[in-house]
Amino acid sequence: MKPFVMIIAAWFGLGIGADGSRPISLMAQELDQATFLELHNQLNASPEAPWRTIPWKISLLEAQQEAAQSGKPIFIWAMDGHPLGCT
Amino acid sequence: MLDRESTFADPDIIQLLQNELVPVAIDQAYQRRQKDAEGDFYRKIAGKGPRGDGSNGGTTQGLYIAAPDGTYLGYSNHRSPERIKQLIRKGLSGTASGNTSLIEQGKKDLRYSPIPPKGGLTVRVQAKVLGGYPATEDQWKKIFQTSLSRDNLWLTALEHQAILKGTIPNRVQRRIARFHLVDNTRGEPPMWKEDEIEKIEMEIKNGVLTGFARLKTGNGSRGYDCQFYGVVESEDGQMTRFDIVAKGDFWGNGPYTKGAPKGKFPLGISFRLADGSDVADGIPPQGSRGWIQGYLR
Repeated sequence: MKPFVMIIAAWFGLGIGADGSRPISLMAQELDQATFLELHNQLNASPEAPWRTIPWKISLLEAQQEAAQSGKPIFIWAMDGHPLGCT
Repeated sequence: MLDRESTFADPDIIQLLQNELVPVAIDQAYQRRQKDAEGDFYRKIAGKGPRGDGSNGGTTQGLYIAAPDGTYLGYSNHRSPERIKQLIRKGLSGTASGNTSLIEQGKKDLRYSPIPPKGGLTVRVQAKVLGGYPATEDQWKKIFQTSLSRDNLWLTALEHQAILKGTIPNRVQRRIARFHLVDNTRGEPPMWKEDEIEKIEMEIKNGVLTGFARLKTGNGSRGYDCQFYGVVESEDGQMTRFDIVAKGDFWGNGPYTKGAPKGKFPLGISFRLADGSDVADGIPPQGSRGWIQGYLR
């Protein structure tokens, strides 16, 4: 887009960035009820993902209590940031 | 992210964790610092491992196996399924049968035990890069390229009430912008600073939420221009639906999120009410880590 056109467009509130980023007013046309529903469904983790079938606890003391009652060892997945969230 | 899709996707490891052990996932930045029964128990275990108990300020991250009484049985910081199976076998063979006392919670160290605001809401936030990566046969890169991240947004009771009345409070908009409009699909992301929010507007009309945001670092090396669209519904004074999508162009990465597509790439982020059916619904927002008051202000 030519500089003059960009300036005029920005002046009229079309939101074109000086770095050439897409106008927000044009982006707004990309999401509507149909595309929103499709994307919202796409961005949803499946409960059937293998790692999610493991009965993770998030409290170490709850794990200790269950381990004490069952006699099973405790397996601790300790990360910087929560392993089940954060990323 | 890599662990979820590699180590913990292995059928043998899943079977062992489902049946032979008690699996627990934690952000050790909390447990190694907290001064209460849980912190003491964690440090007792980690202190016997190669990283120590964290008292030197260093991370204690990794995979540990311990007996129910906290006796250390092994450690690994590898994600190879074979190495982890060895660790598990060693742990199973080292667990002596016998009575073990239950450790009582006692008084919690609330600095490291944040709970969702009473009367407020927990919202699941999930992000995905929707394109822009070059094709690859590298299995680790493939995991990053297709990953769907997970975090939680917390809203207070007052914010919940304001949204029911049709307003997204400015502080909520800025919390969403700073802590949840991030690309956390390849690792722990940098959050946005207050002055990196160039614009954000969200409004609700007839139950439909629309808006946009523009975020950019001072030097322009990282940014996100996005649009919001969503549906907000309530019944008997309680929100029943908070389904929102943010979609737009992201660019740049952070120290722990290297490997983003070059230039601008599409990033989608979804929001939906948590219903407690997923154990991750109970995890504090990453942006609140060690700073819950700052997150909620």
